[in-house]
Amino acid sequence: MAVFDLANLPDADVVALAQQGREPAFREIIRRYERPLFSLIYRMVRDRETAEELAQDTFLKALNHIDRYRADFKLSSWLFKIGNNVAIDHLRKRRLATVSVSGAPHAATEAEVEATSFEIASHAPSALDQLESRELGSAIEKAIAALRPEYRSCILMRHVEGRSYEEIATTLDLPLGTVKTYIHRARLELRRALKPEEADLRTPDTEP
Amino acid sequence: MNHRHLLPDEIDQLLDGEVGFGVAPLQAHLRECDQCRAAFEQEREVVEALEHLPRLAPSPDFTSRVMAQVQIYEPWHVAARDTVVGWIRPLAPRSQPVRLAVGGAALSLAALVTVATVWLVGHADATLFFAGLVRTTLVRGLATTGAAVVQALLGRSATQALGGNATAVIVASISLYIVVFLAAAFALRAAAVSRRRRA
Repeated sequence: MAVFDLANLPDADVVALAQQGREPAFREIIRRYERPLFSLIYRMVRDRETAEELAQDTFLKALNHIDRYRADFKLSSWLFKIGNNVAIDHLRKRRLATVSVSGAPHAATEAEVEATSFEIASHAPSALDQLESRELGSAIEKAIAALRPEYRSCILMRHVEGRSYEEIATTLDLPLGTVKTYIHRARLELRRALKPEEADLRTPDTEP
Repeated sequence: MNHRHLLPDEIDQLLDGEVGFGVAPLQAHLRECDQCRAAFEQEREVVEALEHLPRLAPSPDFTSRVMAQVQIYEPWHVAARDTVVGWIRPLAPRSQPVRLAVGGAALSLAALVTVATVWLVGHADATLFFAGLVRTTLVRGLATTGAAVVQALLGRSATQALGGNATAVIVASISLYIVVFLAAAFALRAAAVSRRRRA
């Protein structure tokens, strides 16, 4: 196999090498996207351990089906699409499990049962909890956590990942107008959460 | 001054740094209207706070944990190509002068073949006569070898069943060649696939 300087290759070429079964190309894809994907998922689920599992699932879904990747889709968009779906699915399952009083009848695996009973079982803050509270403890992180998951993924992709509205729409399978609305509402809610006393400084449509 | 405050969409346009014909009046209004500027600043602070959020890292063994579960599929043609390259590479000359000499020899051979081809085309009658001769010899040789192969693999009765028919012998032997070729290709693929590297 020829020696490539993988770090300098564009995504499309790295994927082409991965599709040829080149193991270093798989590692390069993980190296490029582990942080962005983990950050997105972590901020969606707000639990480090779960976020790592979901990020791992995301990479496995993508890399084990790398032959299905279509070159007309950006690799980052493809990965974010899978990552977002994985995180939203998890939140949906967790919400179902939380509603139930008798535990977690919807939990399909032991891991999920454990995840749903964790809060009841342990009250002492672990090292992981402390790390989480340090990482996601700022006012803006808490305000993001209070957003609806759909708003959260849109606002994170727009302002943390710097994606365009069009890219977000393609990635999340949403109409462009919906993405704009979600981001606008998310900004408004964040502003209200961060500065409640100033949030309604003026009514936009009033005459001066 | 524009006698209308900026709409939320218009503030979004300015926040997104949009440029164009429609944005200039919005910027002009922003410069003159304290109320809209304050609203814009509030929004900008939120956006800045978001844009300064760090990218968080998973644990250091994340990559190895993922790689331990990734099924790397190496297409058979890539594996076969790698195998063949692996055989040829050690044979390739290492030193620059030897490489130049081999390259020169290859070029000379190519030139010779070109000259021979041009000569043969220029002497089409003789070429066709010799080609016919070669074809007849080749068909006879192939039939003899094919019969020998068929006899060796399937026994004397198979050769007798073909009844000395040259075409039947050639077809039978070509079929056998194809079977042998496919078996070799599958063996090559199996050998190459077994080389798949895992993390």
